[in-house]
Amino acid sequence: MTISTMFSTMLVGMLRSFAVFMLTLVGSLPLGMVVALLKKSRFGLVRVLVNAYISVIRGTPLMLQLLVWYFGPFYLFGMNIGNWRFPALILGFVVNYAAYFAEIYRGGIESIPVGQYEAAEVLGYSKVQTFMRIILPQVIKRIMPSVTNEVITLVKDTSLAFTLAYQEVFSLAKQISASQTSFMPFVIAGVFYFVANYVVEFVMGRIEKALDYYK
Amino acid sequence: MILQMTNIEKHFGDLEVLKDISFEVDKGEVVSIIGPSGSGKSTLLRCATFLETIDGGEITYMGEKAAHTGSDGTTVYVPADRLRHFRSYCGLVFQQFNLFPHYSILKNLIDAPIHVQGRSKEEATTTAMELLDKMGIADRADAYPYQLSGGQQQRVAIARALAMKPEILFFDEPTSALDPELTGEVLKVIRQLAEEHMTMVVVTHEMPFAKAVSNRVLFMDGGVVVEQGDPIEVFEHPREERTKQFLQVFER
Repeated sequence: MTISTMFSTMLVGMLRSFAVFMLTLVGSLPLGMVVALLKKSRFGLVRVLVNAYISVIRGTPLMLQLLVWYFGPFYLFGMNIGNWRFPALILGFVVNYAAYFAEIYRGGIESIPVGQYEAAEVLGYSKVQTFMRIILPQVIKRIMPSVTNEVITLVKDTSLAFTLAYQEVFSLAKQISASQTSFMPFVIAGVFYFVANYVVEFVMGRIEKALDYYK
Repeated sequence: MILQMTNIEKHFGDLEVLKDISFEVDKGEVVSIIGPSGSGKSTLLRCATFLETIDGGEITYMGEKAAHTGSDGTTVYVPADRLRHFRSYCGLVFQQFNLFPHYSILKNLIDAPIHVQGRSKEEATTTAMELLDKMGIADRADAYPYQLSGGQQQRVAIARALAMKPEILFFDEPTSALDPELTGEVLKVIRQLAEEHMTMVVVTHEMPFAKAVSNRVLFMDGGVVVEQGDPIEVFEHPREERTKQFLQVFER
């Protein structure tokens, strides 16, 4: 098998990894904000539940969580999990990453000086206006470095999809390496992750720069 | 009468910060509030601007009641949507400016008039540019707050408050965060507003300023108004021992 054949065989795995990456971001970035705001809820029960969720998610391996999402419905409800693999995978990733993003958002929100809220209040902004117009834009600027970190981790974490036998780039690399007794598939996979993260760094750097117009 | 606060009570936990304070401001009046730190000056301002809720008493703006204590002893505020209407009567200038760092100077001035008061962008911009011109910083309209000196930032903050066309403007130690050099330019602006008969309440430690600009001075200590009256009287012939003691510190 030539290198280019290996590469084209692995290409579909790269697309699958990319799909997991994008769907996780699209789901977890907004969900994390919801979680961060619920954590500040005036209802004690909501806060307790949100804190428990964050603790469990951060305190257990993502690999284990993926297995629970996939097999849980079968063991708990006897559900037919034939077509459940991909939804379980995305759910597991989104719910996991949302917890981490929520903590990043919370840190950002709490770092905004109380004077900003007071100035907005005196000027008559509603609570929603204050958050959307005054607080959130400043939070986004402050959390960019931490978000970049998390997104880079996500790129590499997509390889955990192999746990559910989802044929992403890393699973394919292992298979081809075994059948061809070649180290090359791992090199290709490594280059794929590295280039993907290089793009992430570049894009996030551009966004940070675009937000550099104020301090 | 623009503002009338009657028998105001405010406590934080066990600490009584305002004890039965009554305070009123007429149209066109400039009132200075002086006193040592912890005397309740800022809290009084924050209660008047609805940043803090009172625990007892009555707040009336333009003859309309915003809060009062019922016969059962609980203090009732008007509903949230009505409170926004009361907020539009008053502006507040903070010690730390609290400009919005992600907005240009112009946007700091027009955002609330457009999105809170529903004015047109053209109208808001015209008003804002006039105000910036008056503050002597029209050429910095496109700059961001971090690019301005403290004195300039505070003048923007004053303009931002005025852009809402308030009936009364409150200042919470507007020059305390500034170098002595920059204090003058901010005081000059406030003095100019006083000459135009803008109704203002200024919490300040600038005694010469309070004496020269205000129509009335309040000396607060320990959550009560110890003495109030004509500035010349209060500064030169204070009646209360506590006032004398306080003013002596500034004469040295």
